[in-house]
Amino acid sequence: MRAAVKNLRSLFANLPPLRGLLPIVLLLVFWQLVQPGPSPYFPGPVQWWHATLRLSDRGHLAAAFLSTASSLLVGLALAIVIGAVLGVLIGASRRLSRALDPLLEFLRAIPPPAIVPVAGLLIGYNEGMKLVVVVLAALWPILLNCAAAVRRIDPLVLEVARSFRLSRWETMWRITAPSVVPSLLTGIRIAIPLTIILVLLVEMLTSLPGIGALMIRAQRNFQSSEVYALLVMIGLFGFVVNDAFLVIEAAILRSWPPRMAAT
Amino acid sequence: MKSVTEAPRRDGDVNTQGDLLFSCSGVSVALPHTLGERKVLDDISFDVRHGEVFTIVGPSGTGKTTLLRVLGGLTRATTGSVRINGRELTGPPEEVVIVFQDYSHALLQWRTVARNVALGLERREDADEIKRRVGDALRLVKLEKNADDYPWQLSGGMQQRVQIARALAVRPSVLLMDEPFAALDAMTKASLQDELLGVRDQTGTSIVFVTHDIEEAVYLGDRIAVITGSPGRITHTFDIDLRKPRDQVATRQMPAFLEFRYAVHQAIGSNAYG
Amino acid sequence: MLMAREATIARFNFPGLLTIVVCAVIWELLVRGGVIQYAYFPAPSAIGVGLSELIASAAFWADVAHTLLAVLVGWLIAGVIGIALGVLMGMSPSVRNYLLASVEALRPMPGIAFVPVALLLFGFSLNTELVVIVLPALWPVVINTMGGIAGVHQRLFEVGATFRLPRARIVSKILIPAALPSILVGLRLSLTLSLVLAIVAEMVGNPTGLGYAVVRDQQALRPAQMFADVIFIGILGIVLNQLLVQMTSLLFPAATRALRTA
Repeated sequence: MRAAVKNLRSLFANLPPLRGLLPIVLLLVFWQLVQPGPSPYFPGPVQWWHATLRLSDRGHLAAAFLSTASSLLVGLALAIVIGAVLGVLIGASRRLSRALDPLLEFLRAIPPPAIVPVAGLLIGYNEGMKLVVVVLAALWPILLNCAAAVRRIDPLVLEVARSFRLSRWETMWRITAPSVVPSLLTGIRIAIPLTIILVLLVEMLTSLPGIGALMIRAQRNFQSSEVYALLVMIGLFGFVVNDAFLVIEAAILRSWPPRMAAT
Repeated sequence: MKSVTEAPRRDGDVNTQGDLLFSCSGVSVALPHTLGERKVLDDISFDVRHGEVFTIVGPSGTGKTTLLRVLGGLTRATTGSVRINGRELTGPPEEVVIVFQDYSHALLQWRTVARNVALGLERREDADEIKRRVGDALRLVKLEKNADDYPWQLSGGMQQRVQIARALAVRPSVLLMDEPFAALDAMTKASLQDELLGVRDQTGTSIVFVTHDIEEAVYLGDRIAVITGSPGRITHTFDIDLRKPRDQVATRQMPAFLEFRYAVHQAIGSNAYG
Repeated sequence: MLMAREATIARFNFPGLLTIVVCAVIWELLVRGGVIQYAYFPAPSAIGVGLSELIASAAFWADVAHTLLAVLVGWLIAGVIGIALGVLMGMSPSVRNYLLASVEALRPMPGIAFVPVALLLFGFSLNTELVVIVLPALWPVVINTMGGIAGVHQRLFEVGATFRLPRARIVSKILIPAALPSILVGLRLSLTLSLVLAIVAEMVGNPTGLGYAVVRDQQALRPAQMFADVIFIGILGIVLNQLLVQMTSLLFPAATRALRTA
């Protein structure tokens, strides 16, 4: 409990000064003063607020967020499990790493959005396809980071394990798995923005329920204030998801040397 | 000097086999090299008795570390036999733990001091016993106040103490130490040397100690083996009959200490350049 | 000479190539043998044919040219603005204090969310793509440049001061070269991101270029061409990345080490 409080406090201590938000505030105030009423292009921020209230009155908003967030979380969780297991297995074998390296590098180089139409054609546009796409996008950074972390484990630590006569399984759990944790977290941190883009993209392309679908519909109906309102909400959503993960990451890495935790 | 004996010395003649902790005869080791193999150790024969501090001293590149790894069961001897308590060695034996020189990589950085010390006990002892043994081991190295710190928060000397405590916690009959104090400053080194001898007196643990520091070898050792050449051979062994407990100031000024230091130096020098 | 050649041969990853070939052969056999009975799952040979048809068609190269234009222009704009902003924020703590929180608030904004806004403002046009590319691609450059500049050791400032260099020269001769490795890391991240965002913008925004080509071939039920599009996009990503690395190692050999390991 005390540790958790200390964590939160150190997180706030690392926040940039809040006066740094001044440019955004000034921009919004200026915007509102220049364009107070509705406009097909630049409706004022107060209009965005009215649009937000309209959207939430219709009950669309909560459902859309729930759908987007659950695809994101389930997909990410699957990618973490699959990526960590495969990454550790591949990284543990020099031969396997070498044999798979070019293939994995190529698969990673394909921009994840490009696989959305492919998945759409093969699986059809449904919630399962949304998950597959999210998992595929998040898989590479997680898998490759884990494999690299296993390869980086200091041989001396493994000798310590042998000297204490730890079994293969014990070595896996006590030495390999904890050694991989910082890199696994880095992989997840890289994967999160990608998964958000992918979920929104699927929703925009296919009108599967979610914030992406809500936003593209608003744009097609030229409801400009709703578009801006959703932009702000998606921004907040991205901010909350990213920062929530940073808090989790910092809490987990509390035991690691600061240098290791930073990379 | 009367205590100098030419190697290979066979202690087996004096002691019965049962008193011997380690018994090596005709050990040679070849390790894979860029092209083919390279012989690192050649025809090594020596014994280590229960309860003694046996130091192995020699210049770098003579296979000291490899010899220690052979004793710890991490490297297999290519020829010859290595016995521990009369048994032929096939892997890391349970009565042996290695203390490595590079403490920062040998400790698990994500575990607290106490949990590092518990590493060899987990799943083998119950929780109460682990707690008791970790506490005992930390008291032996005077780290009981740092149980909840992480290794990266400690100085080099303290981290090396953690590694020693971790080894002691499994109650080994012998500690194999690979230049454990080489990376530490002179003062820390001196205090850790005395702590190590204190631990030996309290626990009766035997110690095989590899070093390239002649003074350290003489100060700590009950017996010294000098290893030189490439591939490395044991050329001399010395019985160090200095008074115990040893003292950083008094012992190092004793004429006998200086004589041993000189003799070991000669033993290394005459072979290293000859 | 001989040793250099042996080293090249040793470095060449035959097992890696073999894995790709074996995977392709197994895939081909599974499709041909009817084990995979999926209407829209082409065999590698069919994808190869698709790819060769694409490469022979002028319309495809027009798509490639359009996407490349969007990626490079967007990346350049993001690079110029990003470096300028990053240098200012890195040098002046007060600028940093009055901007960093805004940057941190805008940075997690998913780039794709700008597509509907850009469509409102610019319709189907290159400008729509550029908005979607530039805004998100800015942040890696800003953050890395700022970090690089702020991380320049105080001693180097003192070196500049003791030779009484004017402020502008301290910036151009000491600060930016010292921060160059991290600026290049930012630019590289930004280039990868630019390609991803161009594809996104073309899929849901401006219907041209390679991003739209994938969607078009999908809707026209041409799976072989669709797979070929995707593979070509992957190759394009690798080529762009390699070009950047090669160019920077020619122009700034000293700073490139950091880039390779990043």
